[in-house]
Amino acid sequence: MTTARKGEDRGTTVPPDARARLGQVADAMIESGAGLPSGAQAGVHTGLLDQVVKTRPDLVAPLLRALDELGPDPGLAAVERLAERRPELYEALALVVAGGYLMSSRVTAPLKYRFAEIKIVDPRDIAVVVEEGLLDAVAERTPFYRLPPDAPPEHRP
Amino acid sequence: MRDDCDVLIVGAGPSGAVAAQEFARAGMRVTCLEQGDWPDYEKARAGHADFELTSRKYWNWDPNQRRAAGDYPIDDTESDITALMYNGVGGGTVLYAAHWERFLPSDFRTRTMDGVGDDWPIGYWDLEPYYDEVERQFAVSGLEGDPALPPTTPPPLPPVPLNKLGRRGAEALNKLGWHWWPGSNAIATADYGPLHACAQRTACPFGCPTGAKASADRTHWRALAKDQVRLTVRATVEQVLLDDRGRATGVTYLDADGVRHEIRAGVVVLCANAIGTTRILLASADGTGVANSSGLVGRRLMMHPFGNAIGIFDEDLESWRGPLGQYLHSLEFYESDRSRGFVRGAKWNLLPSGAPLSFMLPGTWGDEPVWGANFTRLLRERHGHSAIWGVICEDLPDPANRVLLDEQAAADGVPGVRIQYRTSDNSRAMMAWHLERLSEVLDAMGAKKKIFNPNLRGTGWHLMGTAVMGEDPDASVVDPHGRCHDVPNLYVFDGSVFPTSSGVNPTATIAANALRCARSLVAHRRDVEVPA
Ligand SMILES: Cc1cc2nc3c(=O)[nH]c(=O)nc-3n(C[C@H](O)[C@H](O)[C@H](O)COP(=O)(O)OP(=O)(O)OC[C@H]3O[C@@H](n4cnc5c(N)ncnc54)[C@H](O)[C@@H]3O)c2cc1C
Ligand code: SF4
Repeated sequence: MTTARKGEDRGTTVPPDARARLGQVADAMIESGAGLPSGAQAGVHTGLLDQVVKTRPDLVAPLLRALDELGPDPGLAAVERLAERRPELYEALALVVAGGYLMSSRVTAPLKYRFAEIKIVDPRDIAVVVEEGLLDAVAERTPFYRLPPDAPPEHRP
Repeated sequence: MRDDCDVLIVGAGPSGAVAAQEFARAGMRVTCLEQGDWPDYEKARAGHADFELTSRKYWNWDPNQRRAAGDYPIDDTESDITALMYNGVGGGTVLYAAHWERFLPSDFRTRTMDGVGDDWPIGYWDLEPYYDEVERQFAVSGLEGDPALPPTTPPPLPPVPLNKLGRRGAEALNKLGWHWWPGSNAIATADYGPLHACAQRTACPFGCPTGAKASADRTHWRALAKDQVRLTVRATVEQVLLDDRGRATGVTYLDADGVRHEIRAGVVVLCANAIGTTRILLASADGTGVANSSGLVGRRLMMHPFGNAIGIFDEDLESWRGPLGQYLHSLEFYESDRSRGFVRGAKWNLLPSGAPLSFMLPGTWGDEPVWGANFTRLLRERHGHSAIWGVICEDLPDPANRVLLDEQAAADGVPGVRIQYRTSDNSRAMMAWHLERLSEVLDAMGAKKKIFNPNLRGTGWHLMGTAVMGEDPDASVVDPHGRCHDVPNLYVFDGSVFPTSSGVNPTATIAANALRCARSLVAHRRDVEVPA
């Protein structure tokens, strides 16, 4: 099966048959489990792909070539063969599949990955650490850096 | 001093920034030529779903992959380590993790104390006041009193929080009776000058979106470029020009359209890092090279072999969040002990794992196959549950490790470079030993899985040594103040001048030394031999 036909736009468009094929391979690369969706269930070949392409249009050409190279049965064995023979194409495929997948709120929400949340540092944190005594043992150590023989006298113990 | 400017600086990284500020304050007319552009923080996407995919392109550490304006080809096929950098205003600090470390006194005396490398012509206490000053310029956050270091002036800001992960590491080191200290980082922990307090977005090496990380574009260049220094971007310096008497008269550079310009200057200061400075020195005099009577330009390249020890834990440690500066460092095994089977030592630092794509793509997270049924299981197991200990090994100078011009690979008509670098047996033994100790630390932390990566390839963040400083013109390229022995008004202020590398991150020392050299140049400016 050839995903990108001759003359077809190899720019930033991913044609429907390539999307279908990407869905197949995404399900092989990411099976559902642990309360998380599979690659295709998350939308790696649909909405997420659109986001990936918008962010990284440079990935489209190698992705289409990777999908071509996978051959008639785009399962895990074909992905492994691609990794060996065409590492640069495999890298693009892996980025699109895993990168797209991890953009999905269906994945980030169950992981409690609140990437949009900011948490301004609390500069008083260290006072708590010191008060608790976490630093005591190390702070009480005698200095253990070595002094060069020509260290100025005022810096010698 | 005279000409188009009093001082021409090549490179707008931290060494160029610190020097430019010092010269401008002394009333000198300063021009800085920078081959890259201003960083585009619109592309700093932490907090957005596309953060990791964007970062892998626009904030890629490897210029060969990033290929942005200002990037030039670096052939690393003959190197064990890939050289990493950011070519643009701010230089490497746009991407640095901001781990801010002073060298230790013994780092300046490796020959005397350990019989290896070379002593520096200066010592720790010569740099000490300059460390104090640059720590204020770079908003350093940390805590004084570290027994691994000489007493210091308190840094201007308190350290980043330890969070759950840092505590876990600190408790383990306490259990083992080993040293740790809250991390010292060039990260603002409160609003400070142009910087804002860190929002813990774990994006430090991918362009800080908050403006909390002290990168030189923000700490220095935005203000300097307004009215104190003429900063020209997209200006790639080709050659330093010399007159008949061997004085530097200025440089030639190519602008964004490939048009060649000549600019004259009383003094030329190279701040282009250990690879970029070599490229300019070797390409000058139409490829014959300048300032190289010692034959040492480009040699003694040091890049700090780097490895890591990853721990995975049952508990949720929220390791996707936090500064990607360092929570803490340990210098327990930093100083030499030959009974370990190697000489010199390494620094450890504890980091959160950060965003998930970095640990879900096959590579450095062990041998378990990622794809298929494993993906979701491993994602659950690692996300938020992982800690990374980094190990920076001291890299000893070896003349065979070097930077050469690559005339074949030219960026806009200026030659590219190739690097030849082999990791030494000493570094390999050091790495293996340190990872064994970190295995003990991970056990003490209660890790359920441990992954070790000795000598990672894509880690050439620290570039040093290719224009060594010393008193002897036969054995060094520049004098102790950064002045080329062969060309009296040509200076090098970046990490090229380091005689040895230490085992800690170098930017604090690069900045402190640049300030020391700039101040010396200002003090002696009437004596500098300028072109006729
Ligand atoms: C991903 C990453 C993480 C890092 N993390 C840390 C860390 O945590 N702690 C630490 O201490 N260090 C870290 N570093 C290293 C740190 O960034 C460098 O030590 C520091 O930036 C060096 O400063 P410099 O001014 O000497 O050179 P650079 O910062 O490299 O600046 C040199 C500048 O010169 C310009 N230039 C070069 N050649 C030319 C030319 N021919 N014409 C015009 N301009 C030219 C370049 O474009 C560049 O902007 C890190 C680096 C990277 C890449
Ligand atoms: S952790 Fe802090 S310094 Fe680092 S990128 Fe986020 S806000 Fe910036």
